[in-house]
Amino acid sequence: MKLNFLAFTAIIFLAHNSANTQILDFEIVTDELLQEPPIEDWLSWRGTPKSWGYSPLDQINTDNVDQMQLVWSWALDDTGSAQAAPLVHNGVMFIPGPRGVIQALDAADGDLIWEYRPGITPSIDNTDREITAEDLGDAAMPATAFAGVGRGVLKNIAVYRDMIYTATENASIRALDARTGRLAWETQTADPALGYFYTAGPIVADGVLVTGITGCERYKEEVCFFTGHDPQSGDELWRFATVAAPGTPGGDTWGDLPLRFRAGGDSWQAGSYDPILNLVYMGTSQAKPWASAVRGTDGDALYTNSTIALDPNTGEMSWYYQHLPGDTHDMDETFESVLVDIDGRESIFKMGKLAILWQLDRQSGEIIKATDVGYQNIINVNPVSGNVSYRDGMIPRIGQQIDMCPSTSGFKGWRAMAYSPITEAMYIPITLNCELATFGPTEQVLGGGGTGPVRRINYPHIDAQDNLGELLVMNIPEGDIKWRYRQRAPINTAALTTAGGLVFIGDWNRYYYALDAETGEKLWQTRVTTSAQGFPISYMVGDTQYVAMPAGVGGASWSGMLPRELAPELNRPRNGNSIHVFALPSN
Amino acid sequence: MGTQYMSSHSLPIKTLLLNSLALLSLLHTNTILGQSLGDGLYTESQASRGAEEYAARCASCHSADLRGNSNSPSLIGLSFMFIWEGRTLGELFTKMSTEMPTDQPGSLSQQSYAAILAFILQSNEFPAGDNDLSSSANALASIQITSE
Repeated sequence: MKLNFLAFTAIIFLAHNSANTQILDFEIVTDELLQEPPIEDWLSWRGTPKSWGYSPLDQINTDNVDQMQLVWSWALDDTGSAQAAPLVHNGVMFIPGPRGVIQALDAADGDLIWEYRPGITPSIDNTDREITAEDLGDAAMPATAFAGVGRGVLKNIAVYRDMIYTATENASIRALDARTGRLAWETQTADPALGYFYTAGPIVADGVLVTGITGCERYKEEVCFFTGHDPQSGDELWRFATVAAPGTPGGDTWGDLPLRFRAGGDSWQAGSYDPILNLVYMGTSQAKPWASAVRGTDGDALYTNSTIALDPNTGEMSWYYQHLPGDTHDMDETFESVLVDIDGRESIFKMGKLAILWQLDRQSGEIIKATDVGYQNIINVNPVSGNVSYRDGMIPRIGQQIDMCPSTSGFKGWRAMAYSPITEAMYIPITLNCELATFGPTEQVLGGGGTGPVRRINYPHIDAQDNLGELLVMNIPEGDIKWRYRQRAPINTAALTTAGGLVFIGDWNRYYYALDAETGEKLWQTRVTTSAQGFPISYMVGDTQYVAMPAGVGGASWSGMLPRELAPELNRPRNGNSIHVFALPSN
Repeated sequence: MGTQYMSSHSLPIKTLLLNSLALLSLLHTNTILGQSLGDGLYTESQASRGAEEYAARCASCHSADLRGNSNSPSLIGLSFMFIWEGRTLGELFTKMSTEMPTDQPGSLSQQSYAAILAFILQSNEFPAGDNDLSSSANALASIQITSE
């Protein structure tokens, strides 16, 4: 018996990736912990379910940030674009890389604890729980494919109970054992052969995984959706279609188009959660093809470009607010929902590509205020009613050039804004740019459609001279400008605010900065491997506060076309996906 | 940012250079003057090699069936021709070989770019021929992309 036991133990040891160790003292992440995390942790992709992008730590502050120095760095896989939003729990950092790789690192020194590699790391009980390339057939991405700006890119992951949750390039959701990195379950939600994939991971709301899918620009019999999944079993609990079908509420907002020709409503940025109201706030992108003349309807196209409040247990919609009915310029409004209470009123703040700051009541969905920063030239917006109307000559016709600000790249992207409760201001990464745009046709057949082609001539914004990058700071809720920081290179990360009176951002030209959140004064800078890119965070291990700053290649037009064409003297390496962690000197 | 260096990538210089190369190619590449896409400018085997390269290096953005995604334009059909009709194969080859893949521009061999271009032409139902498509932007500069 003893011999058999030893042999069994050896098999277990050999079957396990020998590079991996375990987190032996992993503390279960409860709902309460997610909602009120200890200030040392960073448990949601933007810190808490309110998505402020704010750390209550103040060891690093305006007085001493100039002493901050590198403690450790770590190279992520160079198999695609990195836009990482790391999490930290009890001194362990969990970070997503391209092509489904998740790594757990000692957050104090950067030592690898475990890593999950799709198709390589064994599952939790050594049974085959993974969707294989054979299962996917032609829809499988080649193992050697480089994940540029679509499939294979992943922003955020979630931690809950003793699991790490991620969504994949193959339209599946995965659960990993947070102690070992081994796969617990994988659930397919859609067919990647139809174009579906994830670039945003789940959030956890009242014990349910809520995830939005993307890749919905092509004509098919199905549409985009949000799902709720049971975190333990991976079972799908509900599904909410983001495109209204004919004969359903809102179904008449797509004209006479059959469902197969109603595309878009993608979700590619994770949501937020209010545990008191028990509502999840998810965003959707624009209708596809982008131009209404190409879509064949000038209807509102529900529920595209909307904020949607859902019951996380049932998927039932509580309300929706469509920011841009019938958008016709590729002006996404899918981005983060920042939940801030203003004078006791529960609000959501959102901003899309047009740089209009929307304040909504998060219980009713009622508009409270719309503040147009004044950079765009496409629509008029009523600041009280939120109603929008297109300016003369700004609705594109097929083949006819229009002069639009912003370009189809937008002023605002996935680089999430951060709120500071100290300054009561919103810190918003902006890229300033415009475009001579000519929208073109697509084939209206199954499998066709898509965004529609655009002949683009990009040019700098007239108000910004040669500057592409801006950190725009708006007082909340007034919406007036507190200060602006402008520079040549695009701002290329989410913003991070801290109780130390600081805001951290990074740019395409490899710099990270710490600015005084009150004044905008630059107090510290460093330079990293490649473009600063992703979601900087702050956390504490022992007595030390750390600031972690991701860098990465890829990043779509903000990181490719715009700097290449409008700031051609700037360069970045082809590789260099990485995370860089800073702290004050130990003495 | 006040750099004092003259950029090697400044657009006017690039444009000037391309125009000069195009002119030179007109003067010195008599063999391709007057050729059109209907003449069969690539081989089936070259397009097959291009299909493999495409799957590995392009498909994650432009999709396996070349119809693109939200960030990457379609390389097939009406959408492709809307962008490229009236321009030259040389322009397209130069864009591919200097800007693609967007994350690692210029990281493939010139032969690989030519093979991928052959695959794109094949996918758009332009006929194959007996000779490989040239991997020289100069040689391709006089060939118009036209559906006629």
